[in-house]
Amino acid sequence: MKKTDIGVVVFIYAVGVLFLVMTFQLPAAAQTYPLFIDLLLLALTTAYLVRMVIGARRKGVTSGLEDFQDFLPGQFFPILGMVILYLAAMYVVGFYPATVLFMVGCLLFLRVPKWQILLSTAAVAALVYFAFTMFLRVRMPAGLLFR
Amino acid sequence: MLETLALMGQGFVHALSPLNLLVMAAGTAIGIVIGCLPGLSAAMGVALLLPLTFSMEASTGLIMLGAIYCGAIFGGSISAILIHTPGTPASAATAIEGYQLTLQGKAGKALGTACIASFFGGLLSCISLYFFAPLLAQLAMKFGSPEYFWLSIFGLTIIAGVSSKSMLKGLISGALGLLLSTIGMDPIEGVKRFMFGQSSLYDGINVTCALIGLFSMSQALTLAEARIRARARATKFKDKMLLSREEMKMLAPTIGRSWIIGNLIGILPGAGASIACFLGYNTSRQFSRHKELFGHGSIEGVAGSEAANNAVTGGSLIPMLTLGIPGESVTAVLMGGLIIQGLTPGPDLFTGETAAMTYTFFAGFVLIQFFMLGIGLLGCRGFAQISRLSDAILIPAVTVLCVVGSYAIHKNFMDVIIMMIFGVLGWLCRKFDLNTAAIVLALILGPIGEKGLRRSLALSGGDPAILFSTPLCWLLVALCVFGVLSPVLMARMERKAGGVDPDDA
Repeated sequence: MKKTDIGVVVFIYAVGVLFLVMTFQLPAAAQTYPLFIDLLLLALTTAYLVRMVIGARRKGVTSGLEDFQDFLPGQFFPILGMVILYLAAMYVVGFYPATVLFMVGCLLFLRVPKWQILLSTAAVAALVYFAFTMFLRVRMPAGLLFR
Repeated sequence: MLETLALMGQGFVHALSPLNLLVMAAGTAIGIVIGCLPGLSAAMGVALLLPLTFSMEASTGLIMLGAIYCGAIFGGSISAILIHTPGTPASAATAIEGYQLTLQGKAGKALGTACIASFFGGLLSCISLYFFAPLLAQLAMKFGSPEYFWLSIFGLTIIAGVSSKSMLKGLISGALGLLLSTIGMDPIEGVKRFMFGQSSLYDGINVTCALIGLFSMSQALTLAEARIRARARATKFKDKMLLSREEMKMLAPTIGRSWIIGNLIGILPGAGASIACFLGYNTSRQFSRHKELFGHGSIEGVAGSEAANNAVTGGSLIPMLTLGIPGESVTAVLMGGLIIQGLTPGPDLFTGETAAMTYTFFAGFVLIQFFMLGIGLLGCRGFAQISRLSDAILIPAVTVLCVVGSYAIHKNFMDVIIMMIFGVLGWLCRKFDLNTAAIVLALILGPIGEKGLRRSLALSGGDPAILFSTPLCWLLVALCVFGVLSPVLMARMERKAGGVDPDDA
């Protein structure tokens, strides 16, 4: 058994219980199907929990951190943060300025040579412009500031 | 029969329109680029470019997605041969012999073999697509609500099949997907369910956003978590790519065997190109007259693997198009493409006006193989250099395309947020061995099953015996049992083939 699997079980139980509570707020006729699916999810998670306990008794417990050997939190979380900021910036300043800021920021953080930053940012912006704005006629978000 | 032949002919006429030919060329080239970039999979590429097909005619959009699919499966062999890093898991077996040939200065020969074997594997797989798909569709026309319920259950049992390590975790992923599929309006009672106050969830979770998040955004996050490594420089090669008549004669039986293997694996739900390539490779070794060359650079090994993984493409479309059951990740994404076009995968695709669209797609699928051969042979040298593109550039570029793709569906910012949530969910699933393909299959099949079950019960006044009322119901029940048992079979096949995880070819 991996210790990290405990987190998986807790997460699935939390989702299951949340949906269970919401299911009981539905009218009776609409409850049956979601209730069945939710109970199925909880039953399968319980079966997995039982298997984890049996596995722990037989083979012991491992940390599960071996799956995270290559994980670089100092790289991953800043990038995830930049993605979230990108979405927020897109909402405020609009798609194209936010995209340029995100691309440049992310590539600088990943220490990409400057000429490649310039080239790839221009290429991505041009690709989106021609494929989506020109070809598909999708109006990308203008942002609150420029509306 | 005559009607079918007419539809086939008509399909070729439509597929040969300048726009369709342009789309085939562009899709194949894009697919090869995606395939030859290690870290990007065929499913991810198709999901990422799905929004580009919104404004196209249904057949043209599907041809584009099919071209990306075929191109990506072949493209994986370029980096496998030149830098010993398979672009997609489907080319893992190709790397064994292909890289040995590169070390001997025969990279051109290896790439030529991969290209020609991929062409024949893909082309021959179209035969089964043409002949088995209409037969299965005719059977599916007899389906009523109870049969559709069982059909979705059969699809869901495949979830166990596509699970990579633990069947229970696969089933949990499927149940989670089913639960998420209940978000939105109740189809019978008309009650709002689990919408968290968001009116954009009225029609449920947008499957395309979920697909882009689970397959593409999660891939960008996976690339972001590991050290950015410099890729090996792709070997420049000068030897001839074309094969001699003797070599073609030697490879013909290998390609034939791999075609049959790949096709069967493709039709079987839950299996995929990553299993087929190892089975094709192993079979080519078993039957080879030059066994001593295996492990030291054998073109038979390259042909066995590449013909098998490309033969999967046509086969895998059969259950998706005829029954609405996607057997693996890429076909689930392609099914998303059909749904976006307002089409319902299943027997309806083979009747009325829709049949013309289906046969145009089939004809396009045949022509795509020729484009793959031409672009592959002519462009290998250029694609080889693309395979060196750093993950550092791919991470923000893929993220931007995910954002744009999900926004373009309804021009709604909420879709971008949903895509992002599914992206993080997909990344967590990969880390904790849950199954993203199972979640997607459940999201697609959940509403079909729910409608089938509730309509059947409404028709019978609540009597569940209606679910066992016809021989077809029993046939589907038997298939469900097979679906549950299939993981054991798959695990054996995978062990025998020394294969890899089947879920993300």
